[in-house]
Amino acid sequence: MDVDMIFKIAAIGIIVAILNQLLVRSGREEQALLTTIAGLVVALMMIISQISDLFTTVKSTFGL
Amino acid sequence: MEIFGICIIGILAAVMALLLRRQSPQTALLLSVGAGTLMILSVIKNILLTTQSISQLLQSSGINADYIVILFKVLGICFLTEFTCDTVTEAGMLSLATNISFAGKVTVLITVLPMFRDIIAAIASMVSTS
Repeated sequence: MDVDMIFKIAAIGIIVAILNQLLVRSGREEQALLTTIAGLVVALMMIISQISDLFTTVKSTFGL
Repeated sequence: MEIFGICIIGILAAVMALLLRRQSPQTALLLSVGAGTLMILSVIKNILLTTQSISQLLQSSGINADYIVILFKVLGICFLTEFTCDTVTEAGMLSLATNISFAGKVTVLITVLPMFRDIIAAIASMVSTS
C-alpha cells in the first residue's frame, strides 16, 4: 500500500494553509488564492491517477 | 493481515483530515478520497479471486451464466455509485449526490432489464399453460 501519498497530501495541505495565512496577513490576498489553487492542483494530480486506477480495477473486476 | 494496515490508514487519514479541515477543506476532502481509494484498491484484488469462486458456485447450482454476469455488473455499478455518492456528500453537495445515486439506479435498471424480460416470459408461459 502506498501510504506515502496520504502523508504527502497532508503535508501539501499544511504548507498551503501556512502560506495562505502568511500571505493573507501581509495583505496579498490574490497570491494567497493562487497558492491555494496551486496546492489543490498538485494534490488533485496525485489523487487522479489513484482514482483512475481504482475505476479501471472495478471495471475489470465486475466486467462493466 | 491487510486489515490492520487499512485500519491504521483510516485513523491516520481521519486525524489528518480533521487537522486540515479548518485551514483548507478542499485538501481535507482530497485526503479522505485518496485514503479511501488506497484502502479499496488494496482490498479489491481479493474480490477478483472471490468473484471467480462465487460465479463457479452459482454455475454449479444451475443458474444461467448470463444472470451471474448481470449480477456482478450490478454489484460494480452499485459500488462505484456508492463511492462517488459518499465522496460528493462529504463535499457538502447533497443535490449532486442525489443525482449520482439516481443515475446509478437508472443504470442498474437498464442492466437488469433482460432478466426482467425472462421473468415476465416465464410467468406468461406459466399462465398460458394453466
